[in-house]
Amino acid sequence: MAYEPLLTRNIHKPGSETLEGYLASGGYQGLRRVLKEFTPEKFVEEVKAAGLRGRGGAGFPTGMKWGFLPKGKEKPRYLCINADESEPGTFKDRLLIEKDPHLVLEGIIAAAYAIECHQAFFYIRGEFHQGYRTFEKAIAEARARGFLGKNILGSGFDLEVLVYRGAGAYICGEETALLESLEGKRGYPRIKPPFPAIVGLYGCPTIINNVETLANVTLIAERGAAWYAGIGRPKNTGPKLFCLSGHVKRPGIFEAPLGIPFLELLNEHAGGMAHPSRPLKAAVPGGSSMKILPASKCDVLMDFDSLAAAGTSLGSAGGIVMDTSVCIVGALLNVARFYAHESCGQCTPCREGTGWLVKILARLERGDGRPEDVDRLADIAFRIEGNTVCPFGEAIAWPVDSYVKAFRAEFEDHAGRRQACTMRAGA
Amino acid sequence: MSLPVRPETDRRIDDLLARFPQKGSALLPALYMIQEETGWVSEASMEYVAGKIGLSPAFVSGVVSFYTMFHRRPPGRHHVQICRTLPCALRGADALMAHAAKRLGVKDGQTRPDGAYSLASVECLGACDRAPFMQINDREFGPVDPAAFDDILKRQE
Amino acid sequence: MGDPETIEPRLSPPPHQPNVPAPGAPAVAPAAVTGAAPASAAGTPASAAGPVLPQAGPDEVALLIDDRPVVVRKGATVLQAAEKAGILVPHYCYHPGMSVAGNCRMCLVEIEKMPKLQIGCATVAGPGMVVRTNNERVRGVRAGIQEFLLINHPLDCPICDQAGECRLQSYEKDYGRGYSRFAEEKVHFPKRYDIGRSVLFDAERCIKCTRCIRFCDEVSRSHELALFSRGDHAIVGAFPGRPLDNPYSGCTADVCPVGALTWKPFRFKARVWFLKNVPSVCAGCARGCNVNVATFRNRIHRMTPRVNADVNAYWMCDAGRQSYDTLYSRPRFERPIARGLPDATADQALDRAAALLRDTAKTGGKGAVAAIVSARLSLEDLYVAKRVLGELAGITRLAIPSHEDGEDDHLLIRRDKTPNARGAELLGLGAPSSGRVKEILDDVASGRVKGLVVLGEDLLALPGASPALLDRLSALVVLDAWKSPTVDRAHVALPSCGYGEFEGTMVNFQGRVQRLRAALRPPGEADPAWRILRELGRRFGLTSEYATARAIFDEIGAKVPAFSGLTFRTLGDLGAPVPGGATPGAAGAGVSGGPGAPRAEA
Repeated sequence: MAYEPLLTRNIHKPGSETLEGYLASGGYQGLRRVLKEFTPEKFVEEVKAAGLRGRGGAGFPTGMKWGFLPKGKEKPRYLCINADESEPGTFKDRLLIEKDPHLVLEGIIAAAYAIECHQAFFYIRGEFHQGYRTFEKAIAEARARGFLGKNILGSGFDLEVLVYRGAGAYICGEETALLESLEGKRGYPRIKPPFPAIVGLYGCPTIINNVETLANVTLIAERGAAWYAGIGRPKNTGPKLFCLSGHVKRPGIFEAPLGIPFLELLNEHAGGMAHPSRPLKAAVPGGSSMKILPASKCDVLMDFDSLAAAGTSLGSAGGIVMDTSVCIVGALLNVARFYAHESCGQCTPCREGTGWLVKILARLERGDGRPEDVDRLADIAFRIEGNTVCPFGEAIAWPVDSYVKAFRAEFEDHAGRRQACTMRAGA
Repeated sequence: MSLPVRPETDRRIDDLLARFPQKGSALLPALYMIQEETGWVSEASMEYVAGKIGLSPAFVSGVVSFYTMFHRRPPGRHHVQICRTLPCALRGADALMAHAAKRLGVKDGQTRPDGAYSLASVECLGACDRAPFMQINDREFGPVDPAAFDDILKRQE
Repeated sequence: MGDPETIEPRLSPPPHQPNVPAPGAPAVAPAAVTGAAPASAAGTPASAAGPVLPQAGPDEVALLIDDRPVVVRKGATVLQAAEKAGILVPHYCYHPGMSVAGNCRMCLVEIEKMPKLQIGCATVAGPGMVVRTNNERVRGVRAGIQEFLLINHPLDCPICDQAGECRLQSYEKDYGRGYSRFAEEKVHFPKRYDIGRSVLFDAERCIKCTRCIRFCDEVSRSHELALFSRGDHAIVGAFPGRPLDNPYSGCTADVCPVGALTWKPFRFKARVWFLKNVPSVCAGCARGCNVNVATFRNRIHRMTPRVNADVNAYWMCDAGRQSYDTLYSRPRFERPIARGLPDATADQALDRAAALLRDTAKTGGKGAVAAIVSARLSLEDLYVAKRVLGELAGITRLAIPSHEDGEDDHLLIRRDKTPNARGAELLGLGAPSSGRVKEILDDVASGRVKGLVVLGEDLLALPGASPALLDRLSALVVLDAWKSPTVDRAHVALPSCGYGEFEGTMVNFQGRVQRLRAALRPPGEADPAWRILRELGRRFGLTSEYATARAIFDEIGAKVPAFSGLTFRTLGDLGAPVPGGATPGAAGAGVSGGPGAPRAEA
């Protein structure tokens, strides 16, 4: 039975990014339904019942997060949309923003209604120039038609959405660093507690949701929780945009229900390995921060719980595929350099540890390794994990820990070499 | 004291101050406005925008230095940004970068003396299905191999 | 000297001294622990059933830290609770006078029921919490943090001023692995960077704790510093052309836990373990910040703030920090001077002074002799001056010069630059008044006043005074520490003590009586003013013994109602308010509010 695209139902239609195009495809019906048939509290319950889990990387139940807001209204509430998509291997939010912004916007409005917030901020990474222009246009069109502004669709609900551009910092995808950046500061993650739902933007209760998460809210608004919960697997419900890149024939975004087998994604959607003579060596299922799976462990289902059971994580579903031409040490060096570059530098273990890891890996790559290096890498990762202000510590510790565990022999071989590695982590 | 930006930009920055619940938020958009007009963010601009928003110049400078997209020195007219992160590296980004450096006659992080080009390796641009991926100013290109790179360059010039 | 007072440890030790307990320190703090009986030195619970949580009041929280029960007020952090229980959790970025940053991660502790370790500085103590600050897991993490801090840290200890009071050093000794596993090229930064007027910055030593930045933002509110770049290239700095030069810039060197920010005047001057620290009070203005005066070989090498929640919290200003400088930059005179009597002894000079004053009073009549008395003198000096000059020598006309500059600022600095104006008032000598000084000088000009006793002031530096004016006097008796044009013109001049050379008390603008302590031997024959005046008093029939400053203060406490009940002992190291309460106008004028103000007790 062919899978009916939900999140990607419009992206191939010309003019999909326009309001006209969106309306012609039946858009904003979900919003109408929610405003007419649900109180805010009831829609929060609906999203809880649908089982929607955040699509930004943490997989936290969205309805539950909305429920953390305090009851009082002395302070205004804010909704921040995390469009800072920067996790290596991930490019799904870009697709929605550029090709179906109203699918996202509709979800934003429904979510804002549910959490009784009247000002939303769309925080988009600075490098998404086209996405920025497209989404600003979508907001303008929506305002002109009464989907934003005062008394939306006659419901009495007001909402304004402001687009705010990031300026090149992966860490601003962490929700509290996003808030700091939105407040005009360096993107330093905050100490939690207090959590943003209690003390967030400008000290006010704030919900931060990912772009894809809010597109899913639109689906729930359209067809309800029971229908939504029927897609995917128990506790891992709904459709998902899976990204595949690296050594595959057809890198791209593939929509499927949560729980699709990774090998099906790889072989049927992405066309299998790029080079017939170079089979799969390893894959990172959920963006570079997640633990690597050697080929022998890649027979997994792509959902939050299955991957957690397999010792890794779905994360942002940014799958990166590596074939046998790849030097794993070189790949880890590449990833470590990313984290060293993106570390905000606030806390000791991450600031100092990421640089140290790069230096050791660089020596291993160029044939200047020492016998203690491999254990040292694992030990440094261990001393970072759990001791940092934000999950960036885990984001560097998990790759180091898992690459070394899964490919220890390769690391030890490098440690014993006296010449640079000739295998490239490249074409 | 003369403004480091046009009066029109100065007015747009004034508008920004009123747009956010707290005016500190105006900093990043204001920096973008300054950079759009002048190409980069100079120390004089930092002092100017600090004064506008009520921040210290040290604070503003700290913010500018945190974000990679704010240029503290004038970039080339064409700022070539080539992604170096794993998905692009797996599909030949290193070779592309080496080729670009040679073709443009600049090292990673440098601006050519004639001011036409600057080259920077950047981290994941979120277009890994079109690896190797690059941007020139705000225009996107991917997948790019050395031959495609030369083509694109020809069209710039 | 005084008795060793036990100071209730309600505030963290001064930040420039590492808070590592001395080896062999008692396992239980003296008065601070409330609740159950102290645990044994091995840390086992007192009763077989395990430690019992004490009762907590309505605004309090009871918890266990390393099996020690402790009760704190609601809202206190685990770190503060540990401190109250006598357990020091090591930390770099936390400072009780500033906001919590939580970035060093050194204070990570284990809290039961929480899977990850939590930073004590930012975790609010919860009722019934069971905290472990010293088990194997926590110790392992601490060693890891130490290692991370040291990998890019330069091995500068042999040339670094901070050695001996460096947290990185002390913590490495107590919590670190003791050797480095880092064998790569370190990240390099500018060293010897001239970041401000009085502060030097070594960027390689910086551990990015951001104390200095928070100080400039929250306490001095001058905002010169910020963090630049990110990752392991993140570094503290100032904006070009806007250096670190606020009036409190030296405090950034105090709060810096390592040798990244150092006080230029102290650079390379002395190793801190040779310094002798004497608790005292700054005499630069009417605030009277509590200080430590550090000497080596009878020379003051630096002054640093001492914590006093009611006066100066954790801070002092740069001017005060340098206020001892005049001891070495202004010329002193060390022997009594009597005009026409070379190599006069003190007795000879005093005889001459007494004779001059008597004769002038006799020929000139009532009011022919006046006194100009400094509000920089101690209570003891002023009290004996009043007794000797006012009651015995018949010199009842007196004026106190006013020394004012600038304005009271938002933090510590007072416009009134005299440290004991309030004391002079309370002793009944009146307030500083340039008007009254001028009246006396006018009367010198007109010939009504023929004799002047000048205590602790350079008369010729005051407005309205001139050499010609002084030449009209038939008796000019001067007590001062400094050689000055006034001393040169005196008929008799007697050398008195400069700052740090005398024991005494002063009253600050809040009405707080505080002790200054002697840290130096005075040069030559210099003596405290009260002792010189006492000897002068003998020539006028003074019988009181006045053997020591303490004895004089005891008499003040007994005889002057404003000071009733006070003794040196009750003043301790933190002083005490005058029994009448604070002055109207200075009422409640502690350190101005805001994060610079001391935290309430845990």
